[in-house]
Amino acid sequence: MQVSIKWLKDYINFTQTPEKLADMLTMAGIPVESIIDPGEGLQKVITGRIEKIVPHENSDHLQICTLNVGMAENLIIVTGAKNVAEGQIVPVAMVGAHLPNGMKISKGKLRGVMSWGMLCSAQELKLDLEMLPEKQKIGIYILPDDTPVGINVKDVLGLNDVVLEFELTANRSDCFSVYGLVREVAALTGNPIKWPLITVQEDDPTAIKDVLSIDIKAADLCQRFSARMFKNVKVGPSPEWMRQRLDGAGIRSINNVVDVTNFVMIELGQPLHAYDYNMVEGHKLTARRAIRGELLHTLDDTTRKAGDNMLVIADEEKAAGLAGIMGGMETEITAGTTDVILEAARFYGPNIRRTARACGLSSEASGRFERGTDIENTTRALDRAAQLLQSMGACTVCKGILDVYPTKKNPVTVNFTVEAINRHLGTNIGKQTMLEILQKLEINAVDREKYITVDVPSWRNDINCMQDISEEIARIYGFDKIDATLPSGTALQGKQSERQDFVDKIKQIMVSQGLCETVSFSFTHPSVFDKLNMPADHHARQAIPIMNPLTDEYPLVRTCLLSSVMENLTRNFSRKNNDIKIFEIGTVFQPKTLPVTEQPLEKLKIAGAVSGRRDVIGWNQDAEPVDFYDAKGIIEILLDRLSIKHYTVENGEHFVMHPGKTAFFKKGRDTIFIVGELHPSVAAAFDITKPVYIFTADVAALMKYAGRGLKSKTLPKYPAVTRDLSIIVDRDTAAAAVEKTINKAAGQYLSRLDLFDVYEGKQVDKDKKSMTFALIFQANEKTLTDQEVDAGFAEIVTALQKNYNAALRS
Amino acid sequence: MEQELIQIKEKALAAIKAADDLTVLNEQRVRYLGKKGSLTAILRGMGKLAPEERPRIGQLVNKVRADIESLIEEKQTALKARELSDRLATEKIDVTLPGRKRELGHFHPLTLTLNKLKDIFRSMGYSIAEGPQIETDYFNFEALNLPKDHPARDMQDSFYITDEILMRTQTSPVQARTMQSHEPNSPIKIIAPGRVYRRDDYDATHSPMFTQVEGLCIDENIKFSDLKGTLTMAMQQLFNDDLKLRFRPSFFPFTEPSAEVDISCVMCHGKGCRVCKGTGWLEILGAGMVHPRVLEMSGYDPKKVSGFAFGLGVERVAMLAYGIEDLRLFFDNDLRFLKQFC
Repeated sequence: MQVSIKWLKDYINFTQTPEKLADMLTMAGIPVESIIDPGEGLQKVITGRIEKIVPHENSDHLQICTLNVGMAENLIIVTGAKNVAEGQIVPVAMVGAHLPNGMKISKGKLRGVMSWGMLCSAQELKLDLEMLPEKQKIGIYILPDDTPVGINVKDVLGLNDVVLEFELTANRSDCFSVYGLVREVAALTGNPIKWPLITVQEDDPTAIKDVLSIDIKAADLCQRFSARMFKNVKVGPSPEWMRQRLDGAGIRSINNVVDVTNFVMIELGQPLHAYDYNMVEGHKLTARRAIRGELLHTLDDTTRKAGDNMLVIADEEKAAGLAGIMGGMETEITAGTTDVILEAARFYGPNIRRTARACGLSSEASGRFERGTDIENTTRALDRAAQLLQSMGACTVCKGILDVYPTKKNPVTVNFTVEAINRHLGTNIGKQTMLEILQKLEINAVDREKYITVDVPSWRNDINCMQDISEEIARIYGFDKIDATLPSGTALQGKQSERQDFVDKIKQIMVSQGLCETVSFSFTHPSVFDKLNMPADHHARQAIPIMNPLTDEYPLVRTCLLSSVMENLTRNFSRKNNDIKIFEIGTVFQPKTLPVTEQPLEKLKIAGAVSGRRDVIGWNQDAEPVDFYDAKGIIEILLDRLSIKHYTVENGEHFVMHPGKTAFFKKGRDTIFIVGELHPSVAAAFDITKPVYIFTADVAALMKYAGRGLKSKTLPKYPAVTRDLSIIVDRDTAAAAVEKTINKAAGQYLSRLDLFDVYEGKQVDKDKKSMTFALIFQANEKTLTDQEVDAGFAEIVTALQKNYNAALRS
Repeated sequence: MEQELIQIKEKALAAIKAADDLTVLNEQRVRYLGKKGSLTAILRGMGKLAPEERPRIGQLVNKVRADIESLIEEKQTALKARELSDRLATEKIDVTLPGRKRELGHFHPLTLTLNKLKDIFRSMGYSIAEGPQIETDYFNFEALNLPKDHPARDMQDSFYITDEILMRTQTSPVQARTMQSHEPNSPIKIIAPGRVYRRDDYDATHSPMFTQVEGLCIDENIKFSDLKGTLTMAMQQLFNDDLKLRFRPSFFPFTEPSAEVDISCVMCHGKGCRVCKGTGWLEILGAGMVHPRVLEMSGYDPKKVSGFAFGLGVERVAMLAYGIEDLRLFFDNDLRFLKQFC
């Protein structure tokens, strides 16, 4: 919605600058998006008459003009323009003038002749070139001969009317009209409104009811249908004032009949539609549902197939227009039209919205119907249109109005108390102030002593309850005048769930281990499953499709966090960020059925990857690349810090990982973490050439085993005995198995076991390896004797020999 | 003998003085005081002296011995000190070389911003609530007073899964879910942070996925002025104590009255700059008093309780707080970007 200051001032006086008014309206909930000043940057440009032209002595293209600008002395201005002639009225930029292109005019000598200003072209005045005839687009802009001299060109060119462009909220359908906006201005300035007096002379002898009938066959979609009829219509141009008003509203003038319908729509907010009476078959218009597949030939010369929930206005033979959205081609007003039917109706907004969307059509009219027009406004709008056309001498008006209004709208009344409003707002606004605010908004409020009754006007579809009234009062009273207080009620403790704490803790641990947290889109692409080496029957391939995806890139909702990890990896590699330690905690979405019939399962996952250097680059830093055990160590520390103990680690297979370098962390049958080297074929699919180690887990599975209620142990009172154990075993003996054997055989006094060396090489046989452990024996209740330690040690050695054929390494 | 003692003493003192390092000094100690040293030899020769001479000479020997010892001690201290200072002088390292370090990781800037918001609101008594990201039309729209075909649905273009299931466009559905899980009319103070989805083109200021924090406070006698006070306090904690808030009347179907909330520009402190487009204000929150129909639909009685709700975009806050100019950086996950945050 946009409207010019002049149009507002037709109905209400105010002295505020457009900027101030825009600010006042914005702060009252009628947001002004922009202020368009067509004369912006134009200063000191006035009209002047060329009295005399002489050629310049020292130039073959310059001419010296003597200009009468309404001052005592004429001005001499040198111009290079070719279209000037004596007697013309032209725009004169005086010395000191500013032009919209930023140019400032000063006096200057042109080849020896002093020039006191500049004659301006349409372009220099920033006129809308598209609106001008060809010959006006180039050279000096020649004004009409009867233009007075010495006046501001802004006044001559209509550049003095500032336009306010509104970004209205969806609830204020009434403000999609000059009337609605004027009410707001009145409420804010306190100034009185001068509504135009709407009167019609029904000067045609024909009575509308004798020549036309109208009907509603879908009362749910068309709640009121009113019509007037005009005869002897002379289609022609509109008067200048109306063209200017429409121009300010952003509407091009077409002809008087169309312009009047547009003018009334902008002024009163009621869209109108004009039909050529003689093209309406049977002289009957009916608002009815379209028949499925019915063809509609609309004004844009397109033939559309109507759906059966669309409302059409039909004559006896065909649909003559898509109600509220676009008229039909056959009944369009043409230069030859003499008899016009004017329709003013109230359509059900949601249906207009659906239809407009389905047809990809939206217009000033449909926008207003969607938001909801004032049902009581139809006949007034018809009268206003009749009055305007009549005043232009463009028609005669038939007697009477046809008005089908099956169910009269019950006026809404709201009762409220001053206290309730003040309690809702936290204010102390007096009753009188409230009544005045409502009155200024033309909302009728009756003081019934204990409470106030409001009759909500028909144009305010947004007011239904006390809270709505409170908003009216608050926004006009001023949101800025309301205090800032704090709730005084129940004291509540701010908590978060155990899961939220758990997620926060995981993030903290991972960051403290040098990993960067990523956040990725929840979308994915079907091609990613193959790239991830995912088996054809894997449940994660059952991703939910989005009905209306933004692009082809992301048509699915992700089922697997690793797809996001891979995206982040490749993006970083492509930017030469080769040292990567990342993790993400994010939701994946697993449908219960496909196609989806209910909300999917939402699972929180953690996944990540490490690649590149182990440490930061530095003269004294470890320059080695990370390997599997770096990745595994990260997970071990994470589990330790989450107090997840006594898990086992075993080889496992995951489609995205190298089958020989994948570890499953397990608690019983539950896999709580998977870590491994990226499978070479997955790496190849993502164009990754460097070793990458990845990990993934389900947050809920981790949480199930996380320790709670940590208890500390007292420090041991008795000394510890340390023994080293170095054994040689087969190369494929699992360290975890050896540790398990040691722990089992050692007896009660082994308090700690650390594997501190693993060796494969020259000093042991080819298919063997040595492992060296530090064993710490300690008892809580006594100092251990050598014999006790030796006995434990011997048990260990025996068990290792028995289970692994282990030899002690000397 | 006396003469001999004096000579020994003088020779010893001279030798000690001349000793230039601890080894030489030790040699002198052995030479004079050692088992085979000259002073020891004198003591051994005492037997040959007349008995009446012995005490005097004995004393003299002891004195000479004490003198030598004390000088050795003194010299030793001096030499040790010199040796230490010589060693320290040669042990100098380049302290400007970088230290050895383990790199720490980095929280995502959205996590950092969200944590700050959570801390602020938790300290004000708000609990953290969550809800599903794929929502029903009922919770995402209808329970928030946005019936089907409401024109305000155009404000949020949604990703639909089916006609009745969609990617939530706001975390407001958590409001309705929370109310419905509470005893009717019992007080509620929650914030609901989470990912939300809108069918917006991906550019410097829009994203099809972003992060929202929705807040809800319901109790007896909650007023619009409480909303102003709460948001003022929270935003001042988030940005700075001098921050000003401006409430502009607006429209949301789930609140009445509704407001758009601006903060004074955090870049120019309200003077007007590029970031605030010269206005001095930045739009940051939508807020309002919970619409009575929203309360009713979730089993609360608007005659007994009232409440306010607010929502803000975490990306927007993070962009202002850290001076980030392109929203896409959040989801791009370039380590050069992520490693700036701590």
